[in-house]
Amino acid sequence: MKEGTELPLRTYEPDNLIARGWWRIFPDILRELWANRWLTFQLFRRDFLALYKQSAFGIFWAVLIPLVSVGTFVLLNRSGVFRLGDTSVPYPVFAVLGVANWQVFSTGVMGASNSLVRAGSMIMKINFSRKSLVIAAFSQCLAAFAVQWLLALLLCLLFGVTPSIWIAFLPFLLLPLMLTTLGLGFILSILNGIMRDVGNALGVLMTFLMFLTPVLYPRPASGTLSRITALNPLYFLVSVPRDLALTGHTTEWSGFWISSLAGVIIFLVCVCVFHLAETRVTERV
Amino acid sequence: MEPMIRVEGVAKKFCRNLRRSMWYGMRDIARNAAGLRTRSGLLRKDEFWALRGIDLEVKRGEVLGVIGPNGSGKSTLLKLLNGIYWPDAGRVSVRGRVGALIEVGAGFHPMLSGRENIYVNGAVLGMSKKEIDARFDDIVAFADIGDFLDMPVKHYSSGMFVRLGFAVAVHCDPDVLLIDEILAVGDMSFRRRCYNRIDEMKKRCAIILVSHNMFQIGRICSTTLFLRQGQTRFIGSSARGILAYYESVSNNANNEDREIRSEGPIRMVEEKHSLDGNRLEIDFIMETDPEHCEIPYGLSLTLLDASDHLFAQTNSLFQQRVFQGPGRVRLTIPGLNLNHGIYRANLMVYDAGHSRLFSMYRNLFSFSVSRRFVAGATVYFEDASWESLPNLESKP
Repeated sequence: MKEGTELPLRTYEPDNLIARGWWRIFPDILRELWANRWLTFQLFRRDFLALYKQSAFGIFWAVLIPLVSVGTFVLLNRSGVFRLGDTSVPYPVFAVLGVANWQVFSTGVMGASNSLVRAGSMIMKINFSRKSLVIAAFSQCLAAFAVQWLLALLLCLLFGVTPSIWIAFLPFLLLPLMLTTLGLGFILSILNGIMRDVGNALGVLMTFLMFLTPVLYPRPASGTLSRITALNPLYFLVSVPRDLALTGHTTEWSGFWISSLAGVIIFLVCVCVFHLAETRVTERV
Repeated sequence: MEPMIRVEGVAKKFCRNLRRSMWYGMRDIARNAAGLRTRSGLLRKDEFWALRGIDLEVKRGEVLGVIGPNGSGKSTLLKLLNGIYWPDAGRVSVRGRVGALIEVGAGFHPMLSGRENIYVNGAVLGMSKKEIDARFDDIVAFADIGDFLDMPVKHYSSGMFVRLGFAVAVHCDPDVLLIDEILAVGDMSFRRRCYNRIDEMKKRCAIILVSHNMFQIGRICSTTLFLRQGQTRFIGSSARGILAYYESVSNNANNEDREIRSEGPIRMVEEKHSLDGNRLEIDFIMETDPEHCEIPYGLSLTLLDASDHLFAQTNSLFQQRVFQGPGRVRLTIPGLNLNHGIYRANLMVYDAGHSRLFSMYRNLFSFSVSRRFVAGATVYFEDASWESLPNLESKP
């Protein structure tokens, strides 16, 4: 039995953080994330297992969804409803890898933003790291990504495309996108806790964003959409890794770096706001 | 020894208006983000104190009971200790790992097996993989779920679900344990196992137990905090704490009107009781409808304590006494042996076969007994005697 004084002491008092110094927020957050890594994994594992336990296809649903959406676009293109621009590699490979990258954002944001609400009374009754809950929910999109990544490799073989060596490092190229997603997920999970409208609105917004962002079609050379795309960080974070993976070069490095910087800032701000807000929100969920 | 839990001048406020509460919340977050204090010690419009001016300390090996009517702030206090709510004034300090028997089975996923859920739940409660591996067999043995271990939790009975959740929670080896009226669940043998487990843990932790069951409080707790309207009404020995609570409850009960239900032909019209030390004597005057004056009937008097536990009954029919028609009936209880407190009496009038209730008189009268108070008991044998006897001769 340890003596009382050796045990870690936790103190709760109003404006704790300000009394201790604002800068302490960063080591606090890092320490919390590191200390709870196993919890995060357990929560991820729980959701992952539960999601696929009662389904025959299991994780291969993650394959079906991009195939269907890409298939629809191929069909629309063939029947001449609209023209897709020219892509550097066969369209299915281009589109499937685009969807794989995109769903890291869309599934990740959706999952993370629902995490606190879905946990229900658990967060009201037990004190555990809520950041783990958000990260675990976000991570579901990484499992789907892994499968879709393999699908893209398979399609490369099928269509005789030789991807660049970058494709092996695709997850690292997507890190800025993941940070942006996680940051937004943190903030949205809290907003969703306060107002359930957020969850509903997100579903609609994601579909809209997917069509707005050149994921299933190449970036148009000119026009309104081209101008919007130039200001859309998601485009650079999704598309540059794809270009690198498929062709080994990109013309949009500067956009990628600026968007990455924006992503890192979004992440840091959001995680700090989450840290400040989490106890006040649990009172109100 | 250093206290494991220390609460100093703690207050917590809530907002009555949901929208305004959101708005205040956002403003406070913004102020904190800007590095400003929130002036949380002051009330804004629509806010009220759910808890105010709470001071307490609990050392290892101590059990603090928390009692009080609904809405008195008991659960809020537990949430403050658990770090789920932050105090608006004062300071809460807690040493070591905090275990909470507040919601068992939190984080259980119905689709996953018991085995998988033990790991998830253990992780949520702050256990490491190594700890869970080491205690896995103990947890399974305590939960006593047998072959169901590898079955999805959704096929568990509610009792099994709770047992598994409880088993994980009591094996996380906390330094501070918070318990919220959870012991009312499970079947009798499981409940006994829980008590034994808590007695075991008592030596190693500081425990706070919230309960409405005064027997539980009297049995387990060394000290008791009586909360009312968010403020400390009493903190000190459990016996006196429970008494303070009982007295506040009975004061309310006395204001209730006497409740009468009378459908039958026999009625009690007057009652006169006298209490002399341990001896209670009651005279009743009974009345009948003229056309039913031959109907035989029996009487039954029940006694309730301040927490409304019916604990004693005296029944004329069990003594094969059947009365007939109007007249006077006297009941004598020579040895009441009641603990210090306030008690109420109900009278019931039955037919001779004890199959039909003619009339019932609730809160017939209440009386108080003042003597030395013993926690956790209703009946207290003051006249019982203990003596030490010479040792038995050991056989040659």
